[in-house]
Amino acid sequence: MAEKAKIKKKFCGNCGNHNPYNYPKEVFCSIRFSENKNPIVATLWCCEEWNPTSQECYCVEEAMKNKKSK
Amino acid sequence: MQRKIFLQEPVKHIKINGKLTVDQLIQQFKNSGSFGAGKLSDACDIYEHMIRDEGCTVFLALAGAVVPAGMRSLVADLIRERLVDVVVSTGANMVHDAIEALGGHHYKGHWFVDDYMLYKNHIYRIYDVFVPEEDFTKLDYKLAEMYDEIANENNGKSLSSNEFAWELGKRLNDSNSILRAAYEAKAPIFLPAVRDSEFGFIHWLHASRKNCQNPLVVDAFKDVPEIVNICKRSPKNGMIVIGGGVPRNTVQSAALASKKGMDYAIIITMDRPETGGLSGSTLEETISWGKVKGKAGKIMVIGDAMIIFPIIVASVLERLGEDFKRIPYLKR
Repeated sequence: MAEKAKIKKKFCGNCGNHNPYNYPKEVFCSIRFSENKNPIVATLWCCEEWNPTSQECYCVEEAMKNKKSK
Repeated sequence: MQRKIFLQEPVKHIKINGKLTVDQLIQQFKNSGSFGAGKLSDACDIYEHMIRDEGCTVFLALAGAVVPAGMRSLVADLIRERLVDVVVSTGANMVHDAIEALGGHHYKGHWFVDDYMLYKNHIYRIYDVFVPEEDFTKLDYKLAEMYDEIANENNGKSLSSNEFAWELGKRLNDSNSILRAAYEAKAPIFLPAVRDSEFGFIHWLHASRKNCQNPLVVDAFKDVPEIVNICKRSPKNGMIVIGGGVPRNTVQSAALASKKGMDYAIIITMDRPETGGLSGSTLEETISWGKVKGKAGKIMVIGDAMIIFPIIVASVLERLGEDFKRIPYLKR
């Protein structure tokens, strides 16, 4: 049986428009950049334009660990 | 033909006695004159001739990921010391130059690694060099801002890739940067395949920004008269090619278009000629096009440029001595 796809939590670090900026705390959002908004946002933030990324990465996991350790 | 003309110079065996300087080792290689050792010593001689020939303009063609691997400062120093007059590079090498100029780094890694794990950690691999993705992201962000500024200053006027490279160099505050060194020395630096690198993606980012009225225009065709004129005005021309590809062809084509042909040529490559690709094509093949003169001082060294090129430079600097100063022909 096919493995059930993981439902991604709505975080910038899980969004298709993210690239790491200050790993793992902050990401660069190309959509916000194109709209002349501040493109550097928290990995664990989210906006209404969120769409799931196809990339499996550790951004959210590491950002959560980083948050807990403080 | 007399038999004895084939048997004139015996191979002298390499002797390593105590401490040897780089050039002393190269002289031992010259005594052998054989295989890669002989070719490497010939390359050192040819580069020395290029430098000492007062009418020669020295072109450096850079392909392959030599900047991420550690050749950045060496090239910047050669530009500042006027031991290279014109650089033709892949866009990618200058992207990596800019990454370091903006505070990013390349890391020693390994070729035997779980690449999917690197992917999940946002780390890129260039053979055994690692680059964190955030260094690219920071580059994208900062350079997109620079593109905005350059575009505004030029107000729709197109730039050659050399003018574009100098505009970037002007804005990079790092003395080890190749782009900065070229800008300060006013040494032409052409990026003929500028679009085929992160510079192209950054342009997309910059041009897709809301309210971007006049996106930056870089016109690679503008490079052609600039580089051909350099060849034309220079009594002699020499090229050092690292790798090959578009940079090698750009330099050679300028020599062809100016009807000059290279007077000196050193090619460092590991590619083979059988595929017909330029990076492995022999110097003899290049002569057939008129891109290199039949009587040019020329050598193709088969080997890793990361090893070969620094040895050539170290050997020639030793020969020239600390007091040697060179004024490029076109700067006189």
